[in-house]
Amino acid sequence: MITRERAIGRGTTRARSAANGAPARAGRTWRQVRSRVVSQREYGAGFRWLELELPARFVPPVAGQFMQLLLEFPSPVLLPRPMSVASVRRVRSKLRVGFLYAAVGAGTRALAALAPGAAVSVTGPLGRGYPLHESGTPVLIAGGRGVAPLLMAAEALARARRRCEFVFGARTSELLVGSGEARSRLARGGSRLHLATDDGSRGFHGDVIGLLAKLAPKLERPLVIHACGPHAMLAAVARWAMANDARAHLAMESVMACGTGVCRGCPLPRSGDARARVLAQPSHAAGAAALKGNPDWAMCCTDGPVFEARDLDWERVE
Amino acid sequence: MSRAAGSTKPIAPDRVDLSVRVGSLELRNPILTASGTFGYGDEYAHVVQLSTIGGVVTKTVTVKPRAGNSPARVAETASGMLNSIGLENVGLERFRDEKLPRLRELEATVIASIGGETPEELETLLRALGREPGVGAFEVNFSCPNVAAGGARYWADASRLERTLAGLKPLTDKPLIAKLSPDVTDIRETARACERGGADALTAVNTFVAMAIDLDRMTSRLGKATGGLSGPAVKPLALARCWEAAGAVRIPVLGSGGIVSGRDALEFIAAGATAVQVGTATFVEPEASTRVLAEMRAWLAANGIARVRDLVGSFRAEHAQEGALTRPARNGEQPQGDRRRREPR
Repeated sequence: MITRERAIGRGTTRARSAANGAPARAGRTWRQVRSRVVSQREYGAGFRWLELELPARFVPPVAGQFMQLLLEFPSPVLLPRPMSVASVRRVRSKLRVGFLYAAVGAGTRALAALAPGAAVSVTGPLGRGYPLHESGTPVLIAGGRGVAPLLMAAEALARARRRCEFVFGARTSELLVGSGEARSRLARGGSRLHLATDDGSRGFHGDVIGLLAKLAPKLERPLVIHACGPHAMLAAVARWAMANDARAHLAMESVMACGTGVCRGCPLPRSGDARARVLAQPSHAAGAAALKGNPDWAMCCTDGPVFEARDLDWERVE
Repeated sequence: MSRAAGSTKPIAPDRVDLSVRVGSLELRNPILTASGTFGYGDEYAHVVQLSTIGGVVTKTVTVKPRAGNSPARVAETASGMLNSIGLENVGLERFRDEKLPRLRELEATVIASIGGETPEELETLLRALGREPGVGAFEVNFSCPNVAAGGARYWADASRLERTLAGLKPLTDKPLIAKLSPDVTDIRETARACERGGADALTAVNTFVAMAIDLDRMTSRLGKATGGLSGPAVKPLALARCWEAAGAVRIPVLGSGGIVSGRDALEFIAAGATAVQVGTATFVEPEASTRVLAEMRAWLAANGIARVRDLVGSFRAEHAQEGALTRPARNGEQPQGDRRRREPR
């Protein structure tokens, strides 16, 4: 399915896309580089927008991929923090990468304290992103701060002149952080933003599944859903998609150590179907590393973080 | 602290001889990657030039593939990380058919880590792999804290270690390195048992059994109650175990535990390690092993130490009496060669 990039000789790699045009598996394109904080601003409700400047040679991440952010010494934490990419742009040949995050732990609080000019070590791009090329009506579904990679997906679809439906849900209207960003990215080409809040303070009164069920009959089939948010929401989206004959690609989260597939620290339970496909892989098939591995567990970092609905066992996802 | 091993006149970094010997295995330098932190060699091959480091210790392979433990498998704690991976690996067959050919293509010195729940399983692994080309040595994982059977507790039994190694020894011409758990009453006992059994070297040490509780949920922060602690948090603990083990045996010891800098590595070498393993640091910084090597070389050059092996056990030479106090005499034998450095003057 996805071809794992293989190193050619020592220290050289090529970025390569699978034959179907899916985003290149990040396994061999990632690098660790030093970046600089360009700006950091309050985004409301405890959320922050961070922009980092990376060297021009850095492979630009695609929507759904993540980076490992590591603070310089003395850092209050040891391990880097995996963070989903919310925007990528080039400014004077350098790469500027944006992140939407909340300062919830020691690592992110220290990150929030960084001023422009501060150094941050970045490893990436990591993982598999959304297959935005897939045909069908794109429906982007965001829950809370899961909106980050979907802002980037919306931008990529707009660039490709593809219309999409953007469904954004949160508990309250204050937590619909990034809806302005989403609206501006959808401005072109007839894409629409649909809001939902659990308390009814803005948009549809209810969750994203309720809103999705209401919208779906009016949309041209097939639907291709790209979603990110709390795992309970993603499980509900996955079940809805499988019951309604839609494809769904869900960006998952996990505690991680290395982020590169080596430590085996971020397992997600494979579905019975995926397990059968892993076991059916010929043991000597070259390159097909993504499904060749562990039949029971997929690694969030390299098999994901974006998974197709049918590939995970949603009953066992925590 | 003594710098007895060299003159104080700095020398050029490229003049420092970093080569060391572990049994019959020549290493171009003493920096190895620790098992489980570097995959099967090629995962980091695009960022670490494998021909420049001393060697790669591969992820522990078992006879049958292992799926590993339920999540969560990792949790960060103060200056360290807990892991409960559970020896997830591809199993002997795929290791031999897929991973080994790839390892041979890499210009790396490969030390294959093997693990088993019984002595028989280890014998099966060595029968299959013991004479395969492309493997420089075997590290026997006697110390995984995260498996129900055949883990650190099972292998903490000195007589079992000795018997098992004696059974493994004839199955390969390559050096056998026994990786020890720190969670024993006296690591000198397990170290000596391995030496008696025929181990060519030791690795001291594996992770420490440790835990962390999520108070809000009153659950473990791992899928299991306990895991193994690694990272800078364990370095002083690991250093003491390494020093004790190195003082108890004549075979080389590979130091491991929380090494993140060249100075860390040199502390282990001063304590008696012939080479060291960089582990958790690689998760933080994929190129950590290369940097540790460069820092080690720079320190040796700045201190006029022309050969890293001259530094092995330097600290012990100064402080041997402390180590020797509780150490039984070894049949009155006199240590040979550079091991003499470790004895009281």
